[in-house]
Amino acid sequence: MTTDKAHKILKRKKLSQSIAFSIFALITAVVVLILLGILYFIFVRGFPALSWKFLTTMPTDGMTDGGIYPAIIGTFCLIGGSMLFAFPIGVLSGIYLNEYLLDGKLKNFINMMTNNLAGVPSIVFGLFGMALFVNKLKFGDSILAGSLTLGLLALPVIIRTTEEALKSVDDAFRIASYALGASKLQTIRKVVLPIAFPNILTGLILSIGRVSGETAPILFTVAAYFLPKLPHSIYDQVMALPYHLYVICTSGTNIEASRKMAYGTALVLILIVLISNILAGIIRNYYHKKNKI
Amino acid sequence: MAKLSANKVNLYYGDHHALKDVSLAMDHNTITAFIGPSGCGKSTFLRLFNRMNDLIPHVKIEGEIIVDGEDIYSKQVSVDLLRKNIGMVFQKPNPFPKSIFENVAYGLRVNGISDKNFIIERVETSLKQASLWEEVKDKLKKSAFELSGGQQQRLCIARALAIEPSVVLMDEPTSALDPLATHKIEELVFNLKEDYTIVIVTHNMQQAARVSDKTAFFYLGELIEYDDTNNIFTKPKEITTQNYITGRFG
Amino acid sequence: MTHLESELKKIKDSTLEMMHIVRTQLSKGKEALMTSNKELALEVMHNEKRVNGYELLIDNSCENVIACFSPVAIDLRFVLATLKINYHLERIGDNADGIARNVIDIKEQWNDELLRKLELVKSFEIADEMLGYVLDSYENEDTSMARKVFEKDKFIDHITDNALTTISEYIKANHSNVNQDLYLLLLHRKLERVGDLVKNIAEEIIFFVEAKVLKHKKGLEG
Repeated sequence: MTTDKAHKILKRKKLSQSIAFSIFALITAVVVLILLGILYFIFVRGFPALSWKFLTTMPTDGMTDGGIYPAIIGTFCLIGGSMLFAFPIGVLSGIYLNEYLLDGKLKNFINMMTNNLAGVPSIVFGLFGMALFVNKLKFGDSILAGSLTLGLLALPVIIRTTEEALKSVDDAFRIASYALGASKLQTIRKVVLPIAFPNILTGLILSIGRVSGETAPILFTVAAYFLPKLPHSIYDQVMALPYHLYVICTSGTNIEASRKMAYGTALVLILIVLISNILAGIIRNYYHKKNKI
Repeated sequence: MAKLSANKVNLYYGDHHALKDVSLAMDHNTITAFIGPSGCGKSTFLRLFNRMNDLIPHVKIEGEIIVDGEDIYSKQVSVDLLRKNIGMVFQKPNPFPKSIFENVAYGLRVNGISDKNFIIERVETSLKQASLWEEVKDKLKKSAFELSGGQQQRLCIARALAIEPSVVLMDEPTSALDPLATHKIEELVFNLKEDYTIVIVTHNMQQAARVSDKTAFFYLGELIEYDDTNNIFTKPKEITTQNYITGRFG
Repeated sequence: MTHLESELKKIKDSTLEMMHIVRTQLSKGKEALMTSNKELALEVMHNEKRVNGYELLIDNSCENVIACFSPVAIDLRFVLATLKINYHLERIGDNADGIARNVIDIKEQWNDELLRKLELVKSFEIADEMLGYVLDSYENEDTSMARKVFEKDKFIDHITDNALTTISEYIKANHSNVNQDLYLLLLHRKLERVGDLVKNIAEEIIFFVEAKVLKHKKGLEG
């Protein structure tokens, strides 16, 4: 091959390389820009509404003034409740699936079902929650019913992340533990879970982000249109941020007047999700550094 | 009586006949090396003695594996207790993501020992036996991952020794290490002979020659020759052995 | 001490023991000869088996170390040198055995005056001294001791040369005991061989300690 020809080929390679690179960079930039746009839009409009009063007082004047305190508390109650239900069940199922169940038809079946569950539209969860928890089990519209419904929604994510977290634990650690005479349970408890823990925790926090933003599942199970007081028991209804946002945007007493409130609420919601995601990242980094994996 | 012995052992992975009629006996306080090309069954055979093959699905085992006169595949035998008595060191150093101290203490803890002073004493003794104590005594609380590869492997040896096994199985313990670290481990293994029965799988023939008293050569799932290491490396009886150790294979 | 070092030490110890035995064999041979002690001569012949046993043992150990440890540098030179030293020692042993056999074979009383003139005892003493040097030298890896051997060997050669003249003259003048005279010549020849073998041993020691090959290099010797 002459050097001239080689040079030409090299040039062409360089050109195609830079074209491909430009396309990828452009697409990525578009995605980032859209995201930043949304954030900017919400932030600019929502920030003026944000104040200590906004966060800590009841809504007043037909939700056109005052704060969103009960909705924040309600959302936290629902997050706490759903995680209390979904986290242990999800983690235990994940452990069972990855550590105990041998590869085979049953495992494939369960995995398929978990995946399907993750793909079910959230409104269907809402309806199911209403049918089972609210009506059949007679919990009524309550934190309990809402938490359980949201928990169901979060379950596949937690199972999945737990399974993935366990799968990523090098078998060498398990084998080393067995070789020292440890039982399976000891191995899981003392070796596998501590290693997988940061990733499981990440899954938990990400699902908190998801749960805190869901509207449909709480629509029929817990959310109150307007309830300017705090819950006393798990059988009480509460307000919740996403539903509150929906209400004041679509069916409030005075939609125009509560526009500012709506952006404020949206910002708070986004911040909760954002903070939990950042927290997940920090926790993961902390443990990775600590374990030096 | 031999410390470890195998009697007409056959092992199948599904349809694959991985070990064919293998019989051999190993004495107390000796180092036995298993050599042979990859896939010859030497590691599989080693893992029979602490029942590590149990962890692999679709394995079928025939014949007897006897440790201290007892068939370890009989129903009365507790696998956990067996593994406490028969330690193992693996190809890749695999310390847990815990502190150096906790790595060595782990085996004691899972075997139900909680006496703090006893654990501290055992950890020190084991690290000394593994000639690692001097290098780590001031940083026992540090993560095991801060150690070099060779140190990690010696830590794994200390971890195996902590629960006072009588046999130590080593599955290519130096294949991931540099020559100097390898040399240290070999010297260590040689010195451990006084207190333990050691079986070492290696595809480094020189290593087998240097450390072991007896050598077993495996090929295609069969035990071709088993003799004093000196004899294997100076006057092997089988032509296959000679071809393998002289590098004239295939 | 590493595993290899301990294996090499074992070989060295065996070789030193063999050197001691060979040295004793030679001095017992001399003793038997001087005192016409046939029993002592038989003992030397019997002990020759031990020397041979050592030769096999050391051969085997060297073979094993080479096969199992692939020694390099000074370790390799040590093993190679020891293999050859072992061979030379065995031949010195053979000579001692030969001397003992001569003692048995000779029926007559020695002619003391001739013996004195031949300096046979002197040859024995020098050979013994040379063996002492190589022993020390091998044990301490000290080549200055080994180097003393070359000068000493020249004495033995000299004595042997003189012995040839002396004996031929003696035979010319005196036909009564030719058999004994020829035996004496043989004995001298054997001691000369011993001297050469010890010299070879010294060369091997220098080779292993200093990595110099002295063989066939006249002028470097001494």
